[in-house]
Amino acid sequence: MKALALAWHNVLRNRRRSVVTILIATLGTASMLVAGGFTLYTYDSLREGAARDFGHLTVSHPEFFRRDEEMPLQYGMDGHVALKQRLEAHAHVKRVLPRVNLSGLVSNGEKSMIFMGSGADIAGEAAMRGQFLTLVSGSMPGAGARVPEVLLGVDLARGLSAAPGSVLTLLATTSAGAMNGVDVRVTGTVTTGWHDVDQRLVYLGIDTAQYLLATDKVSTLAVFLDATDATPAVLAELASADPAHGYKPWWEQAFYYQSVRALYNRIFGLLGIVIALLVFFSVSNTLAMAVVERTREIGTLRALGALPGELVAGFVREGALIGLLGSALGMLLAGAVSLSLRHAGLEMPAPPGRTVGYPLYVHADPWLYAACTAAIVALCACAAWLASRKAARLPIVQALAHT
Amino acid sequence: MNDHAPRAAAAAGPPPVILLRGITKHYRLGNSDIPALRGVDLCVPQGAFVAVRGPSGSGKSTLLNVCGLIDSFDAGSYSMSGTDVAGLDERARTLLRRERIGFIFQSYNLVPVMSVADNVDYPLRLLGVAPGARRLRVERMLERVGLSGSGARRPDMLSGGQRQRVAIARALVKTPALVIADEPTANLDSATATQIIALMRELGREHGATFLIATHDERMTTQCDQVLTLTDGVLQ
Repeated sequence: MKALALAWHNVLRNRRRSVVTILIATLGTASMLVAGGFTLYTYDSLREGAARDFGHLTVSHPEFFRRDEEMPLQYGMDGHVALKQRLEAHAHVKRVLPRVNLSGLVSNGEKSMIFMGSGADIAGEAAMRGQFLTLVSGSMPGAGARVPEVLLGVDLARGLSAAPGSVLTLLATTSAGAMNGVDVRVTGTVTTGWHDVDQRLVYLGIDTAQYLLATDKVSTLAVFLDATDATPAVLAELASADPAHGYKPWWEQAFYYQSVRALYNRIFGLLGIVIALLVFFSVSNTLAMAVVERTREIGTLRALGALPGELVAGFVREGALIGLLGSALGMLLAGAVSLSLRHAGLEMPAPPGRTVGYPLYVHADPWLYAACTAAIVALCACAAWLASRKAARLPIVQALAHT
Repeated sequence: MNDHAPRAAAAAGPPPVILLRGITKHYRLGNSDIPALRGVDLCVPQGAFVAVRGPSGSGKSTLLNVCGLIDSFDAGSYSMSGTDVAGLDERARTLLRRERIGFIFQSYNLVPVMSVADNVDYPLRLLGVAPGARRLRVERMLERVGLSGSGARRPDMLSGGQRQRVAIARALVKTPALVIADEPTANLDSATATQIIALMRELGREHGATFLIATHDERMTTQCDQVLTLTDGVLQ
């Protein structure tokens, strides 16, 4: 306790210099926490978004993810209804939704465009994924309509001059290789936030998709769990119990998530290193000046019988104290930034390739705060050690003669 | 060999606190060697009050530094209370200083951020004395140097004489075998210097400590058991 009190008095010796150093540690900590919090928020959002889009697990024919299909649904799944029921009996599984992937031509009678279709249980998807499509105009398809209903990507609709109520024809190759067509009515136009997807997207009911492909197979079953963290355990359990099917977790399909994570890890990792170096050199500089000023005192204490290590420990305590104060203030500052961003409603601009931005939030994660504090304190202590170890080993006579 | 031993050394008893034989010490200045001590022999028994005088550059401070184990020597032997210190490494010398040697400096050398009590307490903390015992010893010591009630004050709130009293208390609180005092009265006015000399003498007797004092102060030399004169690194 006395040693800490002494360290505190030494910190207060040159108040202005200490305040500046503490402020640098504060800003360093706050910058790390804000950048780290933003990264964590982004990772969490992308993780949950990817798990929501793909399903926590995707069950398919074993060859589905390994080979390209020569014919539509060549590696589709038979007997998916029974498998769906079996999977839904698992304690962690909330829902299993069938999906059919298809492509073909969509025509308004005058103009045809390529479409990438997704046949799905639209109501079920909405229940699991929330607002997974942003309705730009019209409404979601209803049940029991006489003419099959579809949603069009907003850019595809623009290309076809289609609007809610327009009737279009979908043309596709059936699973047997023949051509098939079906008339559909547009109930709404949607955006996924991805310009490339919106240019091709047709969202239709699974029955319509199966009718168009003349099959009762589905491409995949999307398995939604009660918690994303449960994915690895459930994957291991289900995959080992059902070797007849392929099980793929969300992260193996979430290439965007993986690339953003890799990119952010590099960017914010570099930023962290720069901030850490800044704090390190600042504290190092402050304590180096303190050490020079106190060389004679170091000589006195060495003469009285203090070992160099004991004197260095005193400086390390001072450094750690500066780091602790700086990181405490930095945490408060970062917490305030995080809180105010929650209420500010600021948006990040749309990332490349996307058409919509996303909220600017900063997570206040306790582990991140603890790790940053530990890092800053360790950094400051290390800087103090480096600054003082040479002076503490100076010949005593030389230290005592220092002016 | 010229032994400079006070009369007290003649009596049989404990080994001398300082026993130097043929101590030489050179300082290197550029390409030349400057001799600071040339074959110094010295025997100081326990409890002696010894002054070393001589002109500036005569080697007084070097002799004190060697005796206080804060500087090394090039040749010769040094036995401190029977312990041969020549073969000790830096750590062992530090621990020996911690236990057996107190220092009084010309400029007091108190730690400004420590209170008076903490300054006096510091050597006891290094020795690992229990907090209760430390408090008691510090209080007693401050009382003996006439500074009871000033324990909480900072050194910069004290006069020069008071600061030197604190330095004396710090040097003696651990009851060392040897106290090294380098010009302890040089920064003090005449009246204060007289008081400080008397205090050192009195406490030295009380604690049985041996004092080795570098000084130019005639009042100091008259109080000492023995006065050594050092000229060009040689004891006269």
